[in-house]
Formats: sequence, structure tokens, C-alpha cells
Amino acid sequence: MWRGLWTLAAQAARGPRRLCTRRNSGAPVPGSGATIFALSSGQGRCGVAVIRTSGPASGHALRILTAPRDLPPARHASLRLLSDPRSGEPLDRALVLWFPGPKSFTGEDCVEFHVHGGPAVVSGVLRALGSVPGLRPAEAGEFTRRAFAHGKLNLTEVEGLADLIHAETEAQRRQALRQLDGELGHLCRGWAETLTKALAHVEAYIDFGEDDNLEEGVLEQGGTWGWGRKMPRVHTQMLPSLSSSACLPSPTANIEVRALEVALGAHLRDARRGQRLRSGAHVVVTGPPNAGKSSLVNLLSRKPVSIVSPEPGTTRDVLETPVDLAGFPVLLSDTAGLREGVGPVEQEGVRRARERLEQADLILAMLDASDLASPSSCNFLATVVASAGAQSRSSSSQRLLLVLNKSDLLSTEGPGPGPDMPPHLLLSCVTGEGLDGLLEALKMELAAVCGDPSTGPPLLTRARHQHHLQGCLDALGHYKQSKDLALAAEALRVARGHLTRLTGGGGTEEILDIIFRDFCVGK
Amino acid sequence: MFSFRGCGGRVAASFTKRHFPLPRLGSDSAEPRTPHFDVIVIGGGHAGTEAATAAARCGSRTLLLTHRVDTIGQMSCNPSFGGIGKGHLMREVDALDGLCSRICDQSGVHYKVLNRCKGPAVWGLRAQIDRKLYKQNMQKEILSTPLLTVQEGAVEDLILTEPEPEHTGKCRVSGVILVDGSTVYSESVILTTGTFLRGMIVIGLEMHPAGRLGDQPSIGLAQTLEKLGFVVGRLKTGTPPRIAKDSINFSILNKQTPDNPSLPFSFMNETVWIKPEDQLPCYLTHTNPRVDEIVLKNLHLNSHVKETIRGPRYCPSIESKVLRFPNRQHQVWLEPEGMDSDLIYPQGLSMTLPAELQEKMITCIRGLEKAKVIQPGYGVQYDYLDPRQITPSLETHLVQRLFFAGQINGTTGYEEAAAQGVIAGINASLRVNRKPPFVVSRTEGYIGVLIDDLTTLGTSEPYRMFTSRVEFRLSLRPDNADSRLTLRGYKEAGCVSQQRYERACWMKSSLEEGISVLKSIEFSSSKWKNLIPEASISTSRSLPVRALDVLKYEEVDVDSLAKAVPEPLKKYTKCRELAERLKIEATYESVLFHQLQEIKEVQRDEALQLPKDLDYLTVRDVSLSHEVREKLHFSRPQTIGAASRIPGVTPAAIINLLRFVKTTQQRQAAMNESPKTDQYLRDTDRLQERELQLSIPKRFLKSM
Repeated sequence: MWRGLWTLAAQAARGPRRLCTRRNSGAPVPGSGATIFALSSGQGRCGVAVIRTSGPASGHALRILTAPRDLPPARHASLRLLSDPRSGEPLDRALVLWFPGPKSFTGEDCVEFHVHGGPAVVSGVLRALGSVPGLRPAEAGEFTRRAFAHGKLNLTEVEGLADLIHAETEAQRRQALRQLDGELGHLCRGWAETLTKALAHVEAYIDFGEDDNLEEGVLEQGGTWGWGRKMPRVHTQMLPSLSSSACLPSPTANIEVRALEVALGAHLRDARRGQRLRSGAHVVVTGPPNAGKSSLVNLLSRKPVSIVSPEPGTTRDVLETPVDLAGFPVLLSDTAGLREGVGPVEQEGVRRARERLEQADLILAMLDASDLASPSSCNFLATVVASAGAQSRSSSSQRLLLVLNKSDLLSTEGPGPGPDMPPHLLLSCVTGEGLDGLLEALKMELAAVCGDPSTGPPLLTRARHQHHLQGCLDALGHYKQSKDLALAAEALRVARGHLTRLTGGGGTEEILDIIFRDFCVGK
Repeated sequence: MFSFRGCGGRVAASFTKRHFPLPRLGSDSAEPRTPHFDVIVIGGGHAGTEAATAAARCGSRTLLLTHRVDTIGQMSCNPSFGGIGKGHLMREVDALDGLCSRICDQSGVHYKVLNRCKGPAVWGLRAQIDRKLYKQNMQKEILSTPLLTVQEGAVEDLILTEPEPEHTGKCRVSGVILVDGSTVYSESVILTTGTFLRGMIVIGLEMHPAGRLGDQPSIGLAQTLEKLGFVVGRLKTGTPPRIAKDSINFSILNKQTPDNPSLPFSFMNETVWIKPEDQLPCYLTHTNPRVDEIVLKNLHLNSHVKETIRGPRYCPSIESKVLRFPNRQHQVWLEPEGMDSDLIYPQGLSMTLPAELQEKMITCIRGLEKAKVIQPGYGVQYDYLDPRQITPSLETHLVQRLFFAGQINGTTGYEEAAAQGVIAGINASLRVNRKPPFVVSRTEGYIGVLIDDLTTLGTSEPYRMFTSRVEFRLSLRPDNADSRLTLRGYKEAGCVSQQRYERACWMKSSLEEGISVLKSIEFSSSKWKNLIPEASISTSRSLPVRALDVLKYEEVDVDSLAKAVPEPLKKYTKCRELAERLKIEATYESVLFHQLQEIKEVQRDEALQLPKDLDYLTVRDVSLSHEVREKLHFSRPQTIGAASRIPGVTPAAIINLLRFVKTTQQRQAAMNESPKTDQYLRDTDRLQERELQLSIPKRFLKSM
């Protein structure tokens, strides 16, 4: 799956002889690795955003976006008007820098676009880059990996690379989880399933159609395949007997592919008008019941989002509200208190709370400071806090802030939190004491979460999504046109590759499993 | 002293008259010496015969040890070769000068290409083969192969000695001990024992030890392998009963006739030995509910079906078809076993019912109402060795110079066995000569996919080749196996004859020239439309159209192009194969152009070698999870590419491995600079050579 991420690693290892040099036209040279692009500055509000590309088609992309002007002098900042290559619509007046390889960050040809930081501009430029042939959004850590492959990082710098890639993979995984959780994810998974099945049927028809006993009907049944007329003699004679043994559990591949094409097309047309993705860093407030989670949410959002009561288990569903914390866009979620053995409605709430916890960039873990010895507090510390702490030591995943609420209930001389308590902040939602400290800590954590562009800011995620959905749709078009079944299957493989980049999975075994489940093949 | 069993007995001197390697076997000499070979191949099946002849072609003095010389080249199961995916493997075996394709061209009785209408990338060359002829022709070939000696004997044990320090492995094989206690020494040993390792034949509730009906299993050898620490698994397979030809009523059945003309398997043959009109037909019939009933009523008498050992999902017995897909008709092909054979092979009726019930079931089937069963169907259960214990050159990790090929590695099928045989034979020979191994990559051939799947992923059911397993299916076609493998085989392995090499070179350069000529001819679309009216060329395009693009149209071939543009295209119509191959190249040209990028990415990862002696369980300089360590330890991937295909090995683990490799390389380079550079340069050359094979436009090659 991710084998392809590897692109240029071997090249550096092979030594000084450089395989790929640019052709004069600047068009992508086939076989020299894909050209990648990404937003390299952080998300959140900023005056200037930096978008980078790396790979052999970088120069070509720069020329296309700045047409009719030619490449600027190497390593000099130049002001250029960027416009969309398809519509010609101007996008932004930007500073562009052209770094021909090997003297660049990655060792490949690189371009930097310094554009105005508004989301419309950034997404416009990303979309424009995505439409240039040979360019695709970068995978986690791909820029750094390419730099490494070209010997641009020394080994000490590389020490952190594996950790970084792990962290970025984790961040993307969380981002993907969030997306796949929603309606869009549901759609994508459905499409990928349809496509996998369609591909399995086409593959079955290729591998077993004649050797064994599958029929043309796998693909046909109302379809119009070019080669139907060439059906081998013997199989026409088999038709009656086979229809009675009906190997086909579902409508046929062609029909499904056509339906999929329509659905994808409609979705993409719709998506351009603005597909709603929940944006911002995901901050989830969690803790045992009645720790004061809802009070904190209301305090941070400065509005009554959640109902607050002294009764444990008041919040049952996940309540989310977009807020601006210290200048960072944040999606704040209030969740049900974690406890076992309650009624079915609250159990569902607890399940949703745990699910949401999985997807969080930052966890605000809340405990009642006056109730630290209770079983529910201890349990919470042992499970949620300890496990998140263990992970963050490897600098790889979710961040967590432990907040002890109700500090106003602690007597000034009385026993405070014990010495073996992990690092924490004291807060009173009632008096507001400790709120400044919490906001300061939140700011630092959010800067870390949002400062890293690869944690999947929605703009980039959306560009990635569109890139793959469009790729899938294009490939389906080839499927329809191909008269050669091997070519048609190849188009389906490409289409499925695009979808599984969004949903995961995609191995050959998956296809074979469907074949052997759906068909009685064999002699 | 060693005595050649069979020297005076069944293996007549005539078998080995030309190259009986006895110079070292001087009974007159002062100190009696046991014979010494470069390579010993144990087993005379499809893997063994290919392995032995490949090693001999590479110049190694080779001994083929088999239970019985008269079973060499025996087709133990179906009387056919090839098929979809399998035909691809045969073309690749042939490209490396292997035997099975050439012998099939001399022994077939019904040649038919499957998937004719689905695109040349997935054509499946297939033929019904005369068992007797195949065996005769194979034995003739084996016994006349220079440097190859054949001997009867059952191997009981391996001779193991101290390992070579520069390689991994806990010991080294240096010969074999036969059942009679005699020894034969060699530099390397290839095991191709098929289903004979603790083989067990099952019919109904009866079970008895046998490798194949009528042949003894190998038990001592199985114990030796287990003692050495090899992980052993168990698989099962089966074969249908054989029916008397004159007891079948063919007149009411569907008849399938062979192709006319027949397409030969081998690149070296223009035609097959027999005319289409002299070939034999096949017939088709179907099972019915009465067959289901007999199966279901007698499950208690059928221990093979009840066992939990994994059988193949795609070559199932009739019992498992009935159980998994009830209330369906299943097709039964009635295939001839040979020109003058009285037997018919009912493909699709593999079964293990008690013998008397087999005939009862068969007579329920249309056309077989009066059928006589001559030999009952039976099941075989056998040991296989987890193929993750071998390298892509098929040498074992545990024992140096010991190679495994064929069904012993968990595969099924003659073609899969033959493909591994060729690779094992070549590598056993290269190993003796201290040359680098000959490995076919996933991007180069079906052989590469087969071996990479086995050695990195292992298998839990008998592994069969499918085209769907192949990522680069459009590049790895039956038509171009010679340009992919013959040149490498000649240069790197030395297993290819001069004649074949020259032919492949000529074909390759003609193709390249033809493609560039087709690219250079450009006319407007309306002119093309006038020249070739039958082509559905759209005239709306304003850009000039290349002849190569016109050739992509289904209704256009090189002949019609040459009629339109006689100069310079006329000469490409002279060689039929060249004209057909140009058409195929044109069909896939645009897609291959894109696929090339992906191929190069894979090849780059595969050029990154992991140290062979790396102890993943203890190495400290790499930060890896315990789980990943265990996985790497077991499969021992040889390249970063192979490591990344092992499920559960994460991207971060790969980076760590890469960092480790680079640090080690830098350290080594500091000590000794030149050898590494040579290695890289060689890799680069190979990359470029492969690029050529995929018929990339020359103008791009120049820029690389």
C-alpha cells in the first residue's frame, strides 16, 4: 500500500549518478517519481502561507501556474500572478521561489509559493496544483523522506525522522478516522466496497472465466461489452445450464461501475461548492462523571453549550462547538462521563465518548480534585491518562492535559493531590481560578498541534480527497472505454487504488477472497 | 565404497553414455573416493527435471536422484499444461531455456489459447498433453543433456558440514545419504520432493503412506528437515478417477475443438508437432442433484473431506464444491489422456469417496451412464515447508547451499513447480561458482511474483498462479517473456543457448526499431481515415496522429497499416510474430507509459539490499517493535521492497531499517570504497536494461 511512498530512496543509495534530469520542455519525465505538493506552513491564522512542491514536474507546475511567464531565476524571490490553469482565473499575487535540484531541500526540483494566508487562496492554489498532471498531494513525512533519500539530511537529523513519520502517520490516521466517521467516510467506504467487488468479478472473469466455468454474464447482464460477440463457441452452449446455477450474488460489475461513476461525478460537482469538513484541532474533554467537564466547555466557549447539573451522567451525547482558543481554530467536544454499568442510553454515550477520544488531537482529562481517591478517578488515571502519557513519550500521538477541577473545594491546608500524581493543572470552574494558566497551557499545546502542517489541516485533506476522487472517476472513464479486458481491469485497479488511499485496505488477497466466496471456481 | 545403484541395473549405461561423470570414481585408484557433483537434484518431477537441466545448462556437473527413472516427467494429475497465469509461467520458463514448453509443443493433443477475446496480456496458452509422449520426450531430453547424470535411489538423509563463515545459516549441505547407506557428495543440493514428504494417500476411510499412487513416500528426509528446525505444515490435494474411453457416450455431449492454427508454447517453435485437424477434442458435461445426494449421504465415509488440513480453494474436490455451493450444476470436462490412451480424465471430479461409490456417482452423470472407472480418484496429504524459510534464490536460510523447489514450498501445479525448478537450478549452479544469485523481481515476471509472494508472505493453502496476483500485468505478458528474461538469463545465469539468445536480441531490436518507425509516421486524422477507411478514427482531432496510435484501434493491424503506408512498414509484415507483437505493444503503449513510474518505484526499493546476516531479534542499532522484529526474523526479507510487503511492518520500521542500512554502508564505504560503487553501478545498468525491455520511447532514455 504505502510501498509507493518510497519513491526515491534507492536513487540516493545508488550513489552520485543522477538518473533523472529535466527534459527541456519541463514536462514530467515518466518513471522518475511523482511530484508532490503540500502546505508547509501551519494552519490557523497567518498572513502568509507557504506551499511547496518537490519532484521532476515542479518546474512544469510553476510554469503552468504563472503562465505566460517563464521560470524565474533560480533561488530568487519573484513576484508572480498565479492563476488556475483550467479556468485561467487569477488566484493570488504571490512570491515564488524556484530551486532546481540538487541544490534544494529535498535534492529534487522544488518550488515554493508564498501566498496570502486566507483559506480560499490556499485551497485554490492547492486545487490548481492537484490538477497539474504528475502532481499529487504528499503523504505523511514524504518531503523529509525524499530529503533523506537524496542525502540532504545527516544521520543525526534522521534520528528523529522515524518518530516524525510515525507521528504524522498517527495524525493522518486520526484525521482519516474523523473523516471516515462522517457521512463522507460512509460514502467512500461504500464506493470502495463496490469497486473492490466489481474488480473481483472482473478479475474472476479473467482468471477463471474460461479455464473454469464463469460466464460472460459476470460483466454483461444488460451491459454492452465490445467483445461479447466474440464469445467462444463452447460457452454459448453452456449458457442455459449456467443460468440455473447462477453464480452471481449481485448485479454485475458493469452496472455497478456505471452507478459508481454517476455517484462520484455528482459528489465531486457538489464538493466544489464547498464540502463541509469539520475544521480545527480536535480537543476532547473527558473524565469520570461529574468532574465538571461541561462546566469547562461552557467556560471555554463562553456560552452555555452543555447543560450543567450536580447529577452524574448529565451529558450523554457528544456535544461539539467550534471555538477560537488563543487564535487557533478548535473544535471542542464535551463527552459523557466514563463509567461502566449504567443504562443503555448512557452506555451508548460512553461508547461515543471513547470513540471521540480516539480521534482527538488534544485530550483535556478532567478529574474532581476533591475526589481523587474514588475508584472512578483511579480507574480513569490508570486507563486514559496513563496510556496517553505512555504514547506521548514516544512523541508520536495525542497530547493530553490533566486538569484537576473544583480546586475551590480543597481546603488551603488540607491534603492536595499526592506527589505521585502526573503533571497537572488546578482549576476551579466556579471561581475561574487557574483559568489563565489553563489557557496558557492550551496555547502551547495547540501551537504544537496546529503548527505542524502535516496533521492534516482540512484544506489539505480536502485537496487530497478531491485528488483521489477525481483520479478514481478518471480511471472509471477509462474502464468504460477499454475494449481490451486487461486494460479495463487495469483501469479498475487504478480507480480502486485511489479510493483505498482514502479508506485503507486494498490488497490482492481481498480480491481473491471475494472471488472464492462468490464463485465456485475450480476443476 | 560407493556403488552406483542402477549402474548395472535399471539405469542402463545408454542413459548416461555421453556424460557419465566418472573421472573421480576410479575404483582402481589408490584411495577409493565417492563421486562428487556440483549439484544434486532430488526428485524427477516437474521442478526436479527443470532444476537438473537448468543447473547442467549453467555448466554444473549435475546428478538427478529419483525413486524410479521410468517416472521422470510423469504428469501425476491432470493431462494438461498451461492455462491463465500458468501459461505466462511457461513462457517465462521457456525464455530461460527451460524444458516444459518445448516438450509440450512436441506432446500435445489439443492446443487452445484461453482468454483469446480478453486482451493479449491475459491470454492463457494451454494444451491437453499426451502423458506417454510427454514422459518419453522428457526422458529423452533429460538423458541427452550434457553434464547431467540420472540415478535411481531414495534419499534418507543429508550430509551436513560446518557453515561457510561469510554466509548465514547454521550448517552447510555437502551431499546426501541414500537408503542403502551409500553417500554422494556435492556442492549444493536441490530438494524437489513434491508430495512425497510424509505423503499419505486417502480413498474413503483408507489411508496409506505414498507420495503418489504406487510410489513410496520420503519419511527419513522429512524427519531430517524437521530436526534441522524447518517449520513444516501440511496440505492436501486430490485427483479424479480415470474412466475408460469406450464406456462414454460422447455423442450427446458438447464438443470443444482445438484452435486452428495452434499457438506453440515455446519462442523457438513456429508450429506444434501436430496439425489441428489431427488433434483430439474435449467434451463437456455437468453434475446434477443426484451427484450432490451421493456426496452428502456418504460424508461419513470420506475422511479426506472432514480433515482440517487446508486444500486449495480453486481446485476443490467435487465434495467441497457440493458442500460450499449446494444445488448447482458443476461442469466436468472430459479430457483425453493421449493419442492412443484408453483413458479419459474427468476434470472437475476430483474425489476421495470409497472406490465403489465413485463409480456409482459417475454413472449418474450425463454421457457417463455406462462409464467404467479404471483407477479411482484419491486424495493426497503431504508436508510442505513454510516458504518464508527460503530466499528469493530458493536457498534455505537455515542450511547453506540447500535449495527447495516445487510443491515442497506449498505451491500446486506443474507450471509453478517448473518455474521454481529453473530458478533453483540456476541458483544452485551460480552458488557453486560463487556468483551473485539470479533473482527475478515482481516487476520482471510472474516467476518473480510467485517467488516473492511465497518467500515474503508464505502460504496457508496450495499456492496457484493467477494473473490477478500480478501488479504489472500489462507489462508482464506472454508475448514479451523473452525480452524480459532471455537476455538476463544468458548474461547473468548462462542458462540460455546462443541460438535463443540471438533470436531474442533480434526480436528485441526489431521491436524497438518498429515502434520508433511507427512513432515517426504522422498524418492528419482525416488522411488516416482515407488511408484506412475501416478504422473508426475520429477526424475531429486537429493534431497529427502517429501510426502507433492508429495501430491501437481494434480493427487495425500491421498488415492494414502496411497497405496504407507500404514504405517503410512493408518489412514488418514479413515476420508474423513481429507483426503481432508490434500490435500488442501499440495496444498497451499509453498505459505502460504510466505504469513505468510505479515499476521504477518498486525497483528502487528492491535495489536496497538488507544485510543477510542481520539478527533482527538482537540487533541494537535499529529501533523496532518486538512484533516487527519477529516478522523480519522469520521471513528474512532481502530488500527494503520485500520488507515493506510483509504485513505488520510499519513505515516507521522501514525508515529505521533504511537508516541502519545507510549507516552500515557508510561505515563499510569508509573502509572499502570501490566494491559498493560497483554494486550500485551494476544495479543502475540493470535498471536501464529493464527500461529498454518495456519498450520505452528512446528519447526518454537519453535523458536519464
